[in-house]
Amino acid sequence: MIFIPYLTENFLKYFLFLLICFFIFLLSGSANAYSEKDLKKITSKLRCMTCQNQSIHDSDADFSKDIKKIIVQKLENGHTEKEIIKFLVKRYGEYIVFEPQMNIKNYFLWFFPFVILAISLIFLIFRIKKN
Amino acid sequence: MISIVGFTNLLLSFLIGLIIFFSYFFNNKNTISRTYYNLVFFKFFFIIVSFLTLIYAYIVSDFSNQNVFENSHSDKPILYKISGAWGNHEGSMLLWLLIMSSYTLFFTLNKNLTDNIKKLTITFQTSLFLLFAVFVILTSNPFLINSINFEEGMGLNPILQDPALAVHPPILYVGYVGFSLILSLALAGLTFKQIDYEWMNTAKKLTLFCWSMLTAGIALGSYWAYYELGWGGWWFWDPVENVSLMPWIAGLALVHSLMITKKEKILIRWIVFLSILCFSLSIFGTFLVRSGILTSVHSFATDSARGIFILIIFLVSTGFSFILFIFKTDDSEEKLKLLFINKSTALIFNNIVMIIACLTILLGTIYPIVIEVITNKRISVGAPYFNSTALPILLPGFLLMSIAPALSWQNNKLPKYKSYIFVFIALSLLSFIIVYLNAFNVWGFIGIALGLIIIFSSLLSVYFNCIKFGLRNFINHNNALLAHIGVGILVLGITTSSVYKSEFSVTFMINEKKQINHYSYTLLKLETNQNSNFQELVAVFSLYKDNKKIAEIKPSKRYYNVSKMITTEAGIYHSWFQDFYIIIGNEKDQIWSVKIYQNPLVSLIWIGVIIMVLSGLLGIRRA
Repeated sequence: MIFIPYLTENFLKYFLFLLICFFIFLLSGSANAYSEKDLKKITSKLRCMTCQNQSIHDSDADFSKDIKKIIVQKLENGHTEKEIIKFLVKRYGEYIVFEPQMNIKNYFLWFFPFVILAISLIFLIFRIKKN
Repeated sequence: MISIVGFTNLLLSFLIGLIIFFSYFFNNKNTISRTYYNLVFFKFFFIIVSFLTLIYAYIVSDFSNQNVFENSHSDKPILYKISGAWGNHEGSMLLWLLIMSSYTLFFTLNKNLTDNIKKLTITFQTSLFLLFAVFVILTSNPFLINSINFEEGMGLNPILQDPALAVHPPILYVGYVGFSLILSLALAGLTFKQIDYEWMNTAKKLTLFCWSMLTAGIALGSYWAYYELGWGGWWFWDPVENVSLMPWIAGLALVHSLMITKKEKILIRWIVFLSILCFSLSIFGTFLVRSGILTSVHSFATDSARGIFILIIFLVSTGFSFILFIFKTDDSEEKLKLLFINKSTALIFNNIVMIIACLTILLGTIYPIVIEVITNKRISVGAPYFNSTALPILLPGFLLMSIAPALSWQNNKLPKYKSYIFVFIALSLLSFIIVYLNAFNVWGFIGIALGLIIIFSSLLSVYFNCIKFGLRNFINHNNALLAHIGVGILVLGITTSSVYKSEFSVTFMINEKKQINHYSYTLLKLETNQNSNFQELVAVFSLYKDNKKIAEIKPSKRYYNVSKMITTEAGIYHSWFQDFYIIIGNEKDQIWSVKIYQNPLVSLIWIGVIIMVLSGLLGIRRA
């Protein structure tokens, strides 16, 4: 679980699922079905704010139970994962998401490692060429 | 009473440290006298007596000692009474001093280095000892005496009452603190501009030893997290885990750089830099953990005075080291022979990648603190960040690892390169097929392919070596390859157990049988056990495959009487191909909620680590 970056999960499947959800939503206009898998995926990305280093998915604390209820409700209302996370961040602050948000104060955090890697590699290639 | 003995011995050790330190400035002879060695021995002797006194106070439950009162209880089993001595901040810092002194004593036995280097190394090492000793005496004294008499202690945190965690701190500290000796050695070498073959040899042995111990210590901690914390994983990218990983990676880079210099005297500046970095990162980690800046599973009782003190130690030692580094480096080192793909280039590349990964982890660990100070907002930098930065940065290093030991120092040729390319292509295809058949996942594919490629190309190199050199000196020729095979096994284990872990939340009644993911589980019965310091509720599960019973799994919950805490103990059945991992939750109307994890190939992680540690230790003999 810890070694799956969000990037790599099967976007296509997920997209397809959303599409189907959307159609069901259009057809029925009533409550949407949501899968346990989606719930798990979202809750694993969120921090249980009353525990120490546990995700909401792994925790049985009251806080986590409440958040799970909110997410289930939102999923049933057809909200997407992005919307749900946005809502929770607005309500509880960025601390609730394990993944730092891509915004101005975190640009340094996200890009610095890659920039310094690029610089060192260019330097190394330059040195090799010189030999 | 016993506390006074302990404290006196601590003070004596400190005083002798002072004498050793000042004798350097008053005695200009470059040879070491017997008395000097005796002083080093007595510094060690007094500190070990001090430490044993603390352990004795724990064993006899002497609650007049405040430290014992706060962290022990008379009904604890003897093992946890002893391990309680270092299961808290004060005791662990005393252990830190003891290990530091042991290294100094051990270092006096070295016969290869010249006396001037030895003496200066011991002086630097002693000054570090003095800094930490002042810290212990002023802010973290484990020998304080209670002003009131207590009949009973407050008990040790139950989750620390565990065999793996009892030995985790000493082993980890042997790694961390050992880097201090490497630092002192580097500073001494710098001062005399005398970084020669003997210096390298000593540094290599030391680094291999410290790094192996650090590896073992970290692995013990993760193994403990795996069965004790009950979420089926073993690494959280918790700040304290990151803090241990940073000196580990720096140490790994140092081990590899020292390997380069086997043949040529190159890269000295870089090696000295890494030697300084390793211990600096260790102290910085200690600062982050002990100051209470980080919230973490490893929270110690915190006190801002301690934080500031360690920060000062960090600034003084690191500042001094780097200033010396800047002014004293030798400019006359040989030029590196960097070719498109030879051993030096591969090693430089892997060093760059490792240090950047290390930097990334450092950045991710302190970034939330910086942001909180500047904007007063809290952010989390958790697993997703490290998985999408540090891991991709390390990936090319892993790939290179499969062929690097077989590369040549002098030219661009990889002998028998066709067979390596064949291994690469064949295994990539094979892993693609494996992953495709079990739910495709990009990381799954990358990890499995990498693991297999590392293992098999290393085996191929071992085979070529055997043809070339025969079986004589097998370890000497193949040790690096064996370590790399360990890494390959570790990568496989990490990938499969994290990507293909399956998790089920179910409920059970007694004697109920449930079919879950090709296996069936039955909750046979619940037992209660009474132990000396806890009551235990054990759920007995049977595991069946095709109606054949494979194993009994016994997860439990413990209630610790003294601290009134409930802990969960996972029940794990390790089979060859996967771990069956059960946690029992709450009960409602005779129905138990249960979490079941099936973790494929998780045992490979521990097997890989054991191989790495063993080959690290074997390398000392060869070095």
